[in-house]
Amino acid sequence: MKTTAMVTSLLLTAAIVVSAQNKPVTPTLKSTSAAITGGKLLTVSHGVIENGTLLIVDGKIAAVGAAGKVTVPKDAIVVDARGLTVYPGLIDPDSTLGLTEVGSDQNSNDLAEPSDEIMPHMHVADAFHAETELIPVARLNGVTNAVVAPGTDDSVAGQDIFIQLAGANRDAMILGRDVALAMNFGAEQRRRGGRGGGKSEFPSTRMGLITQLRQSLLDAQHYEATRNTPDKKTEDKPGEKGEKADKGEKPFERDLKLEALLPYLHGERPVVVGLYEGYDVETFMRVAAEFHLKVILNHVTRSQEILDEIAAWKVPVIVGPIYEMPRANERFDAVYSLPAELAKRGVKIAISSAEAGGPGGAHSVRNLPYAAGFAAAYGLPYEDALKAITLNVAEMFGFGDKLGSLDVGKTANIVLANGDPLDVRTEVKQVYIDGVVQPMVSRQTRLRDEYSK
Amino acid sequence: MRFHRISACLLVGIVPLASHPVLAQSAAPQSAPDLVIKNATVMTASHGTLEHGAVWVHAGKIAAVAAQGASTGAPSSALVVDATGKWLTPGIVDPHSHSALSSDVNEATSPVTPSMMMIDAFDNRDKALYLALAGGVTTELLLHGSANMIGGQAVVIKNKFGLSRDAMLFPNAPRSIKFASGENPKRVYGSRNQLPSTRMGNFEVMRQSFENAKSYMAGWDAYNAKVAKGDKTATAPKVDLKLEALADVLRGKLYVQIHCYRADEFLTEEAIAHEYGYKIRAFHHALEMYKVAGQIAPENTAIATFSDWWGYKDEAWDAIPWNAVMSMRKGVRVALKSDSNDHIRRLNSEAGKMVRYGGATEDEAIRMVTLNPAWIIGVDDRVGSIDVGKDADLVVWNVDPLSTYARAEKVYIDGDLFFDSSAAGFGTPHFTGVMHDGGGFGSDDETAEDGD
Repeated sequence: MKTTAMVTSLLLTAAIVVSAQNKPVTPTLKSTSAAITGGKLLTVSHGVIENGTLLIVDGKIAAVGAAGKVTVPKDAIVVDARGLTVYPGLIDPDSTLGLTEVGSDQNSNDLAEPSDEIMPHMHVADAFHAETELIPVARLNGVTNAVVAPGTDDSVAGQDIFIQLAGANRDAMILGRDVALAMNFGAEQRRRGGRGGGKSEFPSTRMGLITQLRQSLLDAQHYEATRNTPDKKTEDKPGEKGEKADKGEKPFERDLKLEALLPYLHGERPVVVGLYEGYDVETFMRVAAEFHLKVILNHVTRSQEILDEIAAWKVPVIVGPIYEMPRANERFDAVYSLPAELAKRGVKIAISSAEAGGPGGAHSVRNLPYAAGFAAAYGLPYEDALKAITLNVAEMFGFGDKLGSLDVGKTANIVLANGDPLDVRTEVKQVYIDGVVQPMVSRQTRLRDEYSK
Repeated sequence: MRFHRISACLLVGIVPLASHPVLAQSAAPQSAPDLVIKNATVMTASHGTLEHGAVWVHAGKIAAVAAQGASTGAPSSALVVDATGKWLTPGIVDPHSHSALSSDVNEATSPVTPSMMMIDAFDNRDKALYLALAGGVTTELLLHGSANMIGGQAVVIKNKFGLSRDAMLFPNAPRSIKFASGENPKRVYGSRNQLPSTRMGNFEVMRQSFENAKSYMAGWDAYNAKVAKGDKTATAPKVDLKLEALADVLRGKLYVQIHCYRADEFLTEEAIAHEYGYKIRAFHHALEMYKVAGQIAPENTAIATFSDWWGYKDEAWDAIPWNAVMSMRKGVRVALKSDSNDHIRRLNSEAGKMVRYGGATEDEAIRMVTLNPAWIIGVDDRVGSIDVGKDADLVVWNVDPLSTYARAEKVYIDGDLFFDSSAAGFGTPHFTGVMHDGGGFGSDDETAEDGD
């Protein structure tokens, strides 16, 4: 009863905000302040504050503390969050939001460019469909930010974006373009091989894939050297006819594919590499060391035998899907316990919404907190589980100073729920992004309401 | 009644194992005759939750269910498991699984294949069974896929991982047959430029099949009538396994389980069922049931649905996670199912989501993965709740099974311990051998499984 009453008051507050601003579509708290009071604050960075107050000013967190320790401005809208849990918006480190709508409808999919294995010049930003119906669905369960990566068909699949799940338009929603290079290495990418009657083209084996990758990285290094010493460029163009070589004035021809690899060869941004088997991880890490890549490992669900090695490399890991099936004759919890085992070894981990096989992917982003909760069920400390879908993700992708925890100065991406955010029974009651009250509406709630009449 | 003798013969040929008395006997419990699990929070699924409750298991059956302080009446020789702080539920029942079928889920060579018997593909060493067992799953309906309008006949198993194949069959379970509709059949056959390639084609294929079955039955009726009159010259019609199976649908001998997504298709399916005189036991997937639940409820057709899957195909575009509870409130019996080797491992927390999506009570939620799916399979008189006289299929959980944090700690089937998470190795007292890796994801909605 108590909760219901409070929720009502909370919703009323949101409604008041809407009408006061007279902007029913994009209600805003910007340029004003709001105090969320009485809730249990999961700060992520500095513990839990029972009965805390969180102050939002101009879309940023202006103060966080115990009730009475935070001065609430007179003009602030007060949101009564008694009985509710207040936590930073969740961040999915590996999604395809905005690259797919209806899974089986190829016209609605822009996931992968499978004409070649090396496609670093594919920019997710060019395909991201900000108006997708999938985003409100995810947002309603407290996911406020996500990394969007291409499909996994290619060894080098393209460059990721980091998004916010609300904003005036596409550009406002993309907080970072080309934030990471999405790579994959394993059985899936050798699709041209003879297996199952394929075309038997190179690369059809792991040897082929890794050689192709090394050659591409060497080509990029060579390209850069050539570009930086333009006088020599003619001798570096074998196969061209003499008369062309004579034209020393010919402008330098950019190679977008090789150029796209350079920031990653410089270690400026991370490569996120999808790997499952331990021996594939070891193979890839040799190449990473050779080219000084800044690595974030993804998956590693079949690498239980090299967890100490992974810890020694000091690379962060997006572990999972935790729902990946163990191999035959492995114990049932061989994958369930992986996040705990990595965290125990001091590895910084993130957890994604990815599902093991089957329908899912971008459609199941809303289930992100449950994957983290499942990791907690199998030994990951609760604080680490929450961090794995908030602050750790922000830090891995360069947003650690802006997102992922309830700290002063950070973007006010805040979620209010009626219980433990990692529990399937908990209902998210309100989401704020940039301090803006988000309408708790999606295509699905509209259908629900239409057929509830 | 010559016909009936032949029919009985056919039954022996088709489903002999489930009904064979000797085999049923071999599935009997092998453990100590008496077991008491005490001090647990007992979610009965049929009559609420008992705090600090106790359950007495005798000879593989539930002999008593006692509330706090009450005696179970078990003999002092009984093995006692102290479940203080733990939860106890009936074994989880999955009414829609394609596990352990050796990837032979679809005989996608004809849209009508009712004589396919899923038992013929059942591999009792598939790791998927073990992983499901570790998630508390004790009974599964293993179904044909959805490539065909009329697929094959299901096998019902008890998940006694480690026993022989025949010992894993659910004794005397009713026979079920899988039908499908919508996108899968029309895509599979349409892509080959065959009938059906539209929903019109889909349903016409069904109607034609039942017309064929009717004339097959008429042929046998005429023959039996002649024999009854003493006509020595009467020649028996040919036994046709396909038509015989369809005839059994019309005779009401098969539970009809239909893969169906869209609201309009539920209505068409019910209309065809009325036209030909059979009942639809359950719609599977049924993601749009919330739109027409009021019309379907009087038919007494249940649904086996997902908690929150959506958007993977056009006919899943209007799926909403409130479907289960909204349909339940309109009077439809609702079960959740896996259709997945992954989700089958955590149907308990899938049920937990129903608390959040529409406000199911914990009782209603646990029923969606126990008693209601047992009804769909037709074994709710034997499993699915903690009631005296039922099979002792029980799961001990570390915490509330509806939470994200629930782990199945002990799984009993017919009173015998088949999974114990505290045991070394696999935690399977009855299995020590080598598991098979069935491969595949275990869903009939995986494109590759649709026979493309």
